[in-house]
Amino acid sequence: MLQLEPQNLLIQEAFGAAFSEDYQPITLDRIITDFDFTTYHISTPESKTKILLSINIKCWPDLVEHGVLALLAEKYAGFQILDQPEPGWDFSIYVDLETTNFGSEEAKSEAIENLSLLKRNCFAAPFLKAFARYEELSAQQPPDPNNIYGEDSTNNSNEKVLQIHYRDAESIFVKPSNDRVTVIFSTIFKDEQDKVFSKVFLQEFSDARKRSIQTAPQVINSHKEPPLEIRHLIRETANAKDTSYITFVLFPRHLSTDDAKWNTITHIELFRSYFHYHIKIVKCYLHQRMRYRVSGFMKVLNRARREHDDEELKAERKTASGRRFEVR
Amino acid sequence: MTISRNENERVLIEPSINSVRVSIKIKQSDEIETILVDKFVGFLTKRAENFLILRRVPIEGYDVSFLLTNYHNEIMLKNKLVDFIIEFMEDVDKEISEMKLFLNSRARFVAETYLTVFD
Repeated sequence: MLQLEPQNLLIQEAFGAAFSEDYQPITLDRIITDFDFTTYHISTPESKTKILLSINIKCWPDLVEHGVLALLAEKYAGFQILDQPEPGWDFSIYVDLETTNFGSEEAKSEAIENLSLLKRNCFAAPFLKAFARYEELSAQQPPDPNNIYGEDSTNNSNEKVLQIHYRDAESIFVKPSNDRVTVIFSTIFKDEQDKVFSKVFLQEFSDARKRSIQTAPQVINSHKEPPLEIRHLIRETANAKDTSYITFVLFPRHLSTDDAKWNTITHIELFRSYFHYHIKIVKCYLHQRMRYRVSGFMKVLNRARREHDDEELKAERKTASGRRFEVR
Repeated sequence: MTISRNENERVLIEPSINSVRVSIKIKQSDEIETILVDKFVGFLTKRAENFLILRRVPIEGYDVSFLLTNYHNEIMLKNKLVDFIIEFMEDVDKEISEMKLFLNSRARFVAETYLTVFD
């Protein structure tokens, strides 16, 4: 499992079962967790055929500000969206199995997928907003083809930066401009060793584009120093020195079509999870390997152990004057 | 007696009346190697009980210390012990650099996999 999946498997399974032909309605009350402090709640509060799916996201107020409600209303038009979400949760969808009728198998699997991608869709709102703004800006002021890296494009530095505080002290910043969209992640490593590993990883992320993958977004990383784009937004915090900033520069080719946009959003959202996940995997592998090595050394050492051979011992035992013991 | 290749790689051998202490400083040229050596030594010392000749805490300035006493000499063959220490020194260096290479190649692989999906 190299790539993380954007959808939530448990939700996918729950609804996959619920929408199948031979579904026996049962009482559900499940709490499901996902990355970035996201939790889902699947329950059947009224009757067994009415499933309520609620989501709780840490940075919900940020998302609302960037128009998540309108996006979700569009995405889940086929279902009943509650005006008042379930108490304690941010957003609720009511699925009535009796009235919901999909024309074909395809429509059904699409609906299941859509439901399991709820988290991705929530986080997509600020990105879509930034992409829309980028389109406006580029229409107003077409990018100069000779200046693809935009070295001196100071004129759009006043553009508003969208912020998503998706974890306690970690945030995503999205900044549109006329020829690109910049996405900046701030992330924190609690562990000193993780930090060193992260440096190796980030270095490779930055180099990968130069080496082989020309179509990828440009990745710039900086440790401790926030990038210029967001410097004015960073508050001084106690853990400022533990923070790393990773900048992704999305070029027009990543934003050209709707499919490309969604693809970009899906992957960029998962970046933090992917990054941390792989650092853990590498550590795990190295531990395993060291353990194996150590047991190898132990074997070598044990080989050095003398066989408990009485004869041999006796042969070596001598008195002070050099005489051997004789067995009588 | 100290035998050293350079500042960062050296072996200290201290003989006494009934024991010999061998301390090894493993090569650490950067942060990653320091972490790897640190972890590796951690694994070793946690198993010091089964690792008869290993000291739980190395002497200052070194990473691993072995103490060979007359007792060890009684239960083990001398030449095999020497073999072990030599093999240990060879393998540790090799292992650390292999792990470092692995880390780099893994990081590269992971980064490329992530970035290829953008198109």
